Amino acid sequence: MAEEIADVLIVGAGAAGAALAWSLADTRMNVVCLEQGDWMDPSRYPSTGLDWEIQRFGKFGLSPNSRGRPEDYPVNDQGSPIRVSNFNAVGGSTILYAAHFPRFRPSDFRVRTLDGVADDWPISYERLAPFYDLNARMMGVAGLAGDPAYPPKELPLPPVPLGKLGETLARGFDRLGWHWWPSDSAIATRPWEGRAPCIHLGPCLTGCAQGAKASTDVTYWPAAVRRGVTLRTRCRVREVTLGPDGLADGVTYHDAEGREHRQRAEVVVLACNGVGTPRLLLNSRSARFPDGLANSSGLVGRNLMFHPYSLVTGIFDEPLEGYKGPTGCCLMSQEFYDTDRSRGFVRGYSFEAVRGMGPVSTALMGMSSGRIPWGPGHHEAFATLFDRTAGMVAICEDLPEPHNRVVLDPELRDGDGIPAPKIEYTLSENSRRMTEHAVAHGRELLEAAGAKEVVAEPLLQIAGWHLMGTARMGTHPQTSVVNEWGRSHDVKNLFIVDGSVFVTAAAVNPTNTIQAFALHVADRIKSNLANLFD
Amino acid sequence: MSEAHDPSQQLSPDQARDLACVLDEIIPPSGDGRLPGAGELGLVAFLERKLRESPDLRPAVEQGLATLARLARERDAAGFAEVPGPERLALLNALAPLEPAFLPGLIFHTYVGYYQSARVLEGLGLEPRPPFPKGYAMEGVDPTRLDAVRRRPPMWRKV
Repeated sequence: MAEEIADVLIVGAGAAGAALAWSLADTRMNVVCLEQGDWMDPSRYPSTGLDWEIQRFGKFGLSPNSRGRPEDYPVNDQGSPIRVSNFNAVGGSTILYAAHFPRFRPSDFRVRTLDGVADDWPISYERLAPFYDLNARMMGVAGLAGDPAYPPKELPLPPVPLGKLGETLARGFDRLGWHWWPSDSAIATRPWEGRAPCIHLGPCLTGCAQGAKASTDVTYWPAAVRRGVTLRTRCRVREVTLGPDGLADGVTYHDAEGREHRQRAEVVVLACNGVGTPRLLLNSRSARFPDGLANSSGLVGRNLMFHPYSLVTGIFDEPLEGYKGPTGCCLMSQEFYDTDRSRGFVRGYSFEAVRGMGPVSTALMGMSSGRIPWGPGHHEAFATLFDRTAGMVAICEDLPEPHNRVVLDPELRDGDGIPAPKIEYTLSENSRRMTEHAVAHGRELLEAAGAKEVVAEPLLQIAGWHLMGTARMGTHPQTSVVNEWGRSHDVKNLFIVDGSVFVTAAAVNPTNTIQAFALHVADRIKSNLANLFD
Repeated sequence: MSEAHDPSQQLSPDQARDLACVLDEIIPPSGDGRLPGAGELGLVAFLERKLRESPDLRPAVEQGLATLARLARERDAAGFAEVPGPERLALLNALAPLEPAFLPGLIFHTYVGYYQSARVLEGLGLEPRPPFPKGYAMEGVDPTRLDAVRRRPPMWRKV
């Protein structure tokens, strides 16, 4: 049988790959997506069992290094104060994300112009705005219109409830006169496009059994597959291969049994996240690209940005019902978003409310912090904490620094023998000062909300959810990896659509912008089919 | 490897009885009677499952129970379960420096098993069920709640 050649081959079925695949299905081209994970079964998500809390330490953990799933690849992040969190499945990391879904602000695309640091993006908010709107409809975004922190935007669903916990925090913001607003959330608060509405289960971060949270396995993918896109799971790509004409001609990949296969393609699109994409490019070496594919700039893997997270937790006297409602979607504040140099740092951060913990998490947190002893006094100490905590995370804008990077580990391999990524990252002084400011002001907020005690974790180690900057976009081939529509400067039929292309990180969760960018790239591909490689 | 470390092996009846008493010391019954002790709750069976699943945990627990039994015998008791109730806590505290790996792992799994049990959830005033499929009722956001914030001038910079 002749080998089938895909018109477009997408690597990765997460947030970006799904949006791009769905959009390209318009063309009726032969679109194929290879995903190293599998379809998830929501009926087996942790929230369906009494042991729902502890499963986040096992198969539904944040770190690929401890989950023990064969579809994961290891990440050597021992050298980083922030550890990588991801998930490999149809839906990618949207399976475990909080679905907090803010847009970037217009100023986030003009950081150099406005604040004299990092670089401007080669695209603007206005360019992405229609794709944000489209994405809002496809993912089903809930929120409340009128937020003074943003230009008007499309929010097709009403916001998630604040609950008693959110109301308590909101009173603190009001007392201080600080900005707050119900979170934009990729959560169906009403029935939406066949999805059942949110019933406030709580543990969104281990998958949504209700299907209300917009992971792309329940949003874009069913529609994309219906429209003819081929999605093949348990296919782990080893290398993007290069033809004699200098164009990508396909990939080699391993199936679930480890057998190696080849998939040829006219166009290759990488959507493997800010660690997986540079890893794949660096593993794709050739005589033409001895330092990794599309890496003539030497920037593949460099400028890795996380969002450094600080966590402040208030302990209150009264029950807050914090175990009800979407864990990470409640309200946010952008009071400290823009640069104010008197604070001692540039750029800024958002506050996002974090709902409370269940009984097991409360007990374990109490154990590790020494607040809940074993033996005498156990029940009394538990009662002072359970359902009486409310948290705020500060999501801080990291700036791109070339020495923060993804490289290949010289020894560590995945299950198919492919070199694993290694993270080299240090927290900048600017980010450190920002977290310090965030902790102080988070404390002030929680006290204004009535907390009798506040505890702080200035840098949340597990919070490497947002992986950005490692194949940045720009107009010049010497200072960027891809152009303003995600096409490699070096390899004209190679595109990147994940967070790797971000020039800067903003101070909000990136998934909405990743998907808007993927839809923008798909739009450019569709409108330039005749001269795509010019 | 000694036979005592065979991960498929069950605890002996004496070990299980001593372990139940240890669990009751880790989480004793609540003073108001609403919450049972962890041993009384029957968490030994849960712990035995964890011992089978976590080969690293088993040697520490077995060794700890053996030392605990020895300390009990030194007090003229046949085993920890025979030590008078008020003296058990002191004995466990004496054990901690001798077997530093014993209590931390045991406490972790005891807390996990205890706080996910239906009986304890009821004692805490919660419904004894997982979150799905019933979920929880919550009221929507009252948009007028944001009126003061809405009146602020635009905070975003035009570029």
